[in-house]
Amino acid sequence: MACPVASKQPVEPAPIQQLVQDSELQSHSHLPASTTLALQIQHNLQYQHAWTDVRVHSHSPVTNEPLVRPLLSGLPPKRLYVHPDEQIDLLKEAQRQRTAAKQAGGKSDTLDVKAQPEREWVLPARLVEKWTLHRLSDIFDAITTVPPESATPNVEDSAANPWRTTKRVVLATADTDSTVVFYIVHDGVVKPRQN
Amino acid sequence: MASVAEPFPVSYIGGRYLIFDVDTIAHARREHNICGVFIGTIPNLSQQNVFLGIPLELMAEEARVLVEGGHAYIVDDVTLHKKGFLEMSREDRMKYLRDMDQQGMEVARGMKQAAEDRTEKALKEKGLDRILQERKLKKLEQTTVESEAGAGSLFDSAPSTPTVASSPAPETILEPHYITPTTSHPPLPVPDPASALSLPEVPRQYPLFRYLHSKGYFSMPGIRFGCHYSVYPGDPLRFHSHFLAAGLDWDEEFDLLDLVVGGGRLGTGVKKAYLIGGEAPSKIGSVEDKQASAGERVESVRAFSMEWAGF
Repeated sequence: MACPVASKQPVEPAPIQQLVQDSELQSHSHLPASTTLALQIQHNLQYQHAWTDVRVHSHSPVTNEPLVRPLLSGLPPKRLYVHPDEQIDLLKEAQRQRTAAKQAGGKSDTLDVKAQPEREWVLPARLVEKWTLHRLSDIFDAITTVPPESATPNVEDSAANPWRTTKRVVLATADTDSTVVFYIVHDGVVKPRQN
Repeated sequence: MASVAEPFPVSYIGGRYLIFDVDTIAHARREHNICGVFIGTIPNLSQQNVFLGIPLELMAEEARVLVEGGHAYIVDDVTLHKKGFLEMSREDRMKYLRDMDQQGMEVARGMKQAAEDRTEKALKEKGLDRILQERKLKKLEQTTVESEAGAGSLFDSAPSTPTVASSPAPETILEPHYITPTTSHPPLPVPDPASALSLPEVPRQYPLFRYLHSKGYFSMPGIRFGCHYSVYPGDPLRFHSHFLAAGLDWDEEFDLLDLVVGGGRLGTGVKKAYLIGGEAPSKIGSVEDKQASAGERVESVRAFSMEWAGF
């Protein structure tokens, strides 16, 4: 494979190309197909959905064993999932702040619901794949409730959300035409959002 | 509501699990979160099927969960009735028929009273109390006339207003109302729990049903939403369902398109989560007594809820 000499590049290679050429990934234990799938989803999240700090995890943070397939973790631009009970709490807080602002003589009458974005696990999958409950539970057994904090210390992580009690992953399903659809999968019986 | 003694019988007829007793139905719903489906209709108006009544048909899973919990037992109703009614003594039969007649008379009397009350109310509303009073008077007079048996007084009691129906309807002989009893005990004794049938056969999604039931959820058949159960956080009359649940075997392969994408979209579209679940086989003690390990087996069920991520 003829790589362009780094000293004189007419065009910077696309991020996905850079990722694929990353030497660290060459020594990866996973099959190239699952690795490239993870990279495809990473690219999609980063550049189509404005996620930041999307990282590939090859080993389980729980057992340090290699994962069944590489997983991703990243920070969405805004909160991806609000549990209905937390939503009630947030709305109450927002209402309290609105009345406080009114009493202070403020003019704004908007209900500001403040939910800090949270890091999410992302499980890359292809649409043609067959899944079983067994495989799904293996994935959940290998992950923590909250993805490990970012390696870069400058990213300010808020205190742990007390409402986040069950594991969840964002299932990113890629079709052959590169469409990616995202579903949230919870571990256990979690009541639906009232969206 | 009369209290229901546990375990209560569940009739097994033609492959269906049925409850015929209203109190038992209410009891199962209140105490055991079992809803079932009403399937009874009026025999000659079977197209009137929007609001159905007793009997209540239970899913096999519901019957099984009740039996496993020791709240109910399954009774083969066909043999029970054949045996019970063919071997019934003449004395018992006559007594039962007399009872039915007596009840029929009570109903008939009640209906007549209700009709009279209705007339009275309607007349009062129109300001025709006068007619009522006259009728009452007439009744009284008639009785006095009959007792005196005097011919002269007959003319005095002639109606003063010719518009009123000249004779108050003579006390007709009441026909007993024909009652269709909904249960057959009495006359049959309550079936013996010792003669109960074995545990109901259940489909493979039963572990999920049992798991959700153990968490206090109500389940209804989910065919309307293309799943096995629609799961409610409380009585379905008070709550919307939270989940569309589909039970799977532990190693049963499923298509992401069918279950996650299709089910997830469908669930999110109706503000529900799509729930898949099944029993992890590793924790089942195959030798252990099934009843004893029921609690443990509930724990070994794993479920996943899915929602559209929203982007």
